Amino acid sequence: MKILLMGHPNVGKSVFFNRLTGANVTESNYPGTTVDYTKGWMKIEGEDVEIVDVPGTFSLDPKDRAEEVAVAMLHENRDAKVISVIDASKIERGIYLALEIIEEGYPLVIALNMRDVAEDKNIVIDADRLERILGIPVVSTVAIAGEGIKELVSRLKEAKPVNVEDIIANAANASTTESVADAGGAA
Amino acid sequence: MKKKLSEMDYGEQGIVTEIEKGLQKRVAGMGIRVGKNLRMVTKQPIKGPFDVVVDEAETSLGLDMAGKITVEVTK
Repeated sequence: MKILLMGHPNVGKSVFFNRLTGANVTESNYPGTTVDYTKGWMKIEGEDVEIVDVPGTFSLDPKDRAEEVAVAMLHENRDAKVISVIDASKIERGIYLALEIIEEGYPLVIALNMRDVAEDKNIVIDADRLERILGIPVVSTVAIAGEGIKELVSRLKEAKPVNVEDIIANAANASTTESVADAGGAA
Repeated sequence: MKKKLSEMDYGEQGIVTEIEKGLQKRVAGMGIRVGKNLRMVTKQPIKGPFDVVVDEAETSLGLDMAGKITVEVTK
């Protein structure tokens, strides 16, 4: 099995990579560091799994060399699972990229990383609710502290391709049930 | 009042009303879409870049991009 770590630049993909593979690599925030991508191996329930640290990209519409590499790597690995690493404090654009990958039919797990940073900005995300809407596992993590990594790995097997139409329907449902619940609370 | 994002002053805030075709997909990944509220936080003289805050997240745009985004300034 192959797993691709995908997400925007500077969301913690390489930290995840090091946590998962145990590789001792020095990291730097210098833009473009990961254009030469890294890959490593880990064992999940006895199975050898290849992990690829894909260069950061904002969308599947490449704007520079690093993004081209990222998109090419995704397309070369049609049978891979994707861990979509999202900066929880900038969730909307993260979800945008995740949805683009979902649309292409990849099984996906979302890591809502930097939960601590988001909380500092008074952003609290209901991961369970997001999970129900998207129909895929959503795990809150703080990768540098190692929080949530085990849960993320254990839920990789639940990753499956989802139809975007279903997500839209779920989102519409979620907003109506929410307003019903609010009305009930008010009464 | 409507103006181009590149004409906004430091500290001004507004809602995106129009993005030139061809640019829409490029900025969508950065969280900029029609209907989004944004605030100018840093504006470098001459050719930019322009830093704006959208949904509590900062993003920067070059002059060519900023000139293709129309904003209804609210304050």
